[in-house]
Amino acid sequence: MTKLPKCEDKKLGLLIDLDTCVGCHGCVVSCKEWNSSGDEKQLSDINSHQKDPVGTFLNRVHSYERENSSTNEAETFYFPRSCLHCEDAPCVTVCPTGASYKREEDGIVLVNEDDCMGCGLCAWACPYGARELDLVSGVMKKCTLCVDRIYSEELPPEDRVPVCVKSCPTGARAFGDFNDPNSDVSKKVRERGGVDLMPEMQTKPVNKYLLPRIKSKDSVSSVGSVIEEETDAIGLLGWVDRALSKF
Amino acid sequence: MHPAPSIILFTVLSGFGFGLISIVGLLQFLSQISAVDIVIFSVIGLFFSIIGLISSFFHLANKKNAIKSMSQWQTSWLSREAISSIFCLSIVVGNIGWVFVQNRYINEVGIILFLLSLFTIFTTSMIYAQLKTVPSWNNMLTPALFIFTALAGGSILLLDYASLVLLLIFGVFQVLFWYIADQSFIHKETSVGTALGFSKNEDIRAFDVAHTNRNYLLNEMVYKVARKHAIKIRYISFFAAFVLPMSLILMFPGNFSISVLVIGIHFVGIYFSRWLFFAEAKHSVSFYYN
Repeated sequence: MTKLPKCEDKKLGLLIDLDTCVGCHGCVVSCKEWNSSGDEKQLSDINSHQKDPVGTFLNRVHSYERENSSTNEAETFYFPRSCLHCEDAPCVTVCPTGASYKREEDGIVLVNEDDCMGCGLCAWACPYGARELDLVSGVMKKCTLCVDRIYSEELPPEDRVPVCVKSCPTGARAFGDFNDPNSDVSKKVRERGGVDLMPEMQTKPVNKYLLPRIKSKDSVSSVGSVIEEETDAIGLLGWVDRALSKF
Repeated sequence: MHPAPSIILFTVLSGFGFGLISIVGLLQFLSQISAVDIVIFSVIGLFFSIIGLISSFFHLANKKNAIKSMSQWQTSWLSREAISSIFCLSIVVGNIGWVFVQNRYINEVGIILFLLSLFTIFTTSMIYAQLKTVPSWNNMLTPALFIFTALAGGSILLLDYASLVLLLIFGVFQVLFWYIADQSFIHKETSVGTALGFSKNEDIRAFDVAHTNRNYLLNEMVYKVARKHAIKIRYISFFAAFVLPMSLILMFPGNFSISVLVIGIHFVGIYFSRWLFFAEAKHSVSFYYN
């Protein structure tokens, strides 16, 4: 049913720390791998080893630079984008077939592929581009929060987290219950000020992001003094020139 | 947004079909139409509506589940549209059969058809108007434009001076729609800043994209149309959908063969209008790719 449930019990989701993420795309690769293995449901690729490859992904990592207004320097950061499992998920209510639904027990938003007719309206309704129509199977794909891992009784307990969380080499991704004020993710959101993406869309995302810390003016002053003096010389001579210019 | 021909044809053809059915229904209610004309024009309306619905069917990537789209009427405008259009067309078929066999008609069926076909056009427009992600659609001008486009198109064959009034209202809503879409309203609260959790005016720029090639999101929702071409297409659209039909109807009132010509020209204009409706609409996901 496409009516949204209350989800008073659990709100499972991800906390993504943009201060820690190094943009390695490890989560993208492991997500693609996990969700393309094991059963008949695939994240397909077309021309994967040829010219013009296209494929379906549930998670994509963007790269941005932002201007630091106190130092006037550009600061780069990486931004993994996936389904936020919104409390007021507009993708669910627009679905005409009932394929999209939000689970009452944990708030995970899923697609029942056996009911999806591939109209694509849910992808239009999502502000975040979290849904992609699979061009081979013709059904909508989205992050499942690895529902087949987190409740698995076959996997060892330490592996019962979404594969993007498990594979992240810097620990930039955390998984937990945002409804529980004592969970690690809830504590971090309180301590470091977790934010919503596009709050103006009134989707009430469950996933939260921790923004990159802004560098202080002092942190860049030494970099600035090195590059201030310009020289025509390059290579070894250039280095000598710059090194001597310091004295 | 990607201006998919299947979706444009769907909204143009079924819009015209349901517009014609609603005008026939109104005239039937007011006893201003002959039984023969009810049959003829209902069949034409039915034809265009069904061609439009078939066209939308070809937009689906997994057609075998199309029948399930009738199930979620409680929340989904697309579901309501599917049910409403099938229900309306069934009554049209029943009405045609009754009038054809009995050679007379029931006035009350006319008002039901009038309201039901208007509601169907309304549900179509709400598929787009409900989307907060596309602010240029997310206002009541979208239903107003869809309904009066349909009514104006549907009235050209059946009404003479009254169709001028409907065309005029359509023209006003069309200009208003473009004006509002430009003034924008377009994403006045959303920016790359809010998309990434910062404040609206944060100075952020993408320095690398998240992929090596185009993908579904870009193809579907990050469609860009050159502004200078869009303005020209607006002129072509407005001339064909509004100016020429108005002039021809004023010059040749009540001339049926001219009306048929007018419909053809009007269609071209509406096709361009709908193309722009999609092509110019900016989806919030495009901020991640700015």
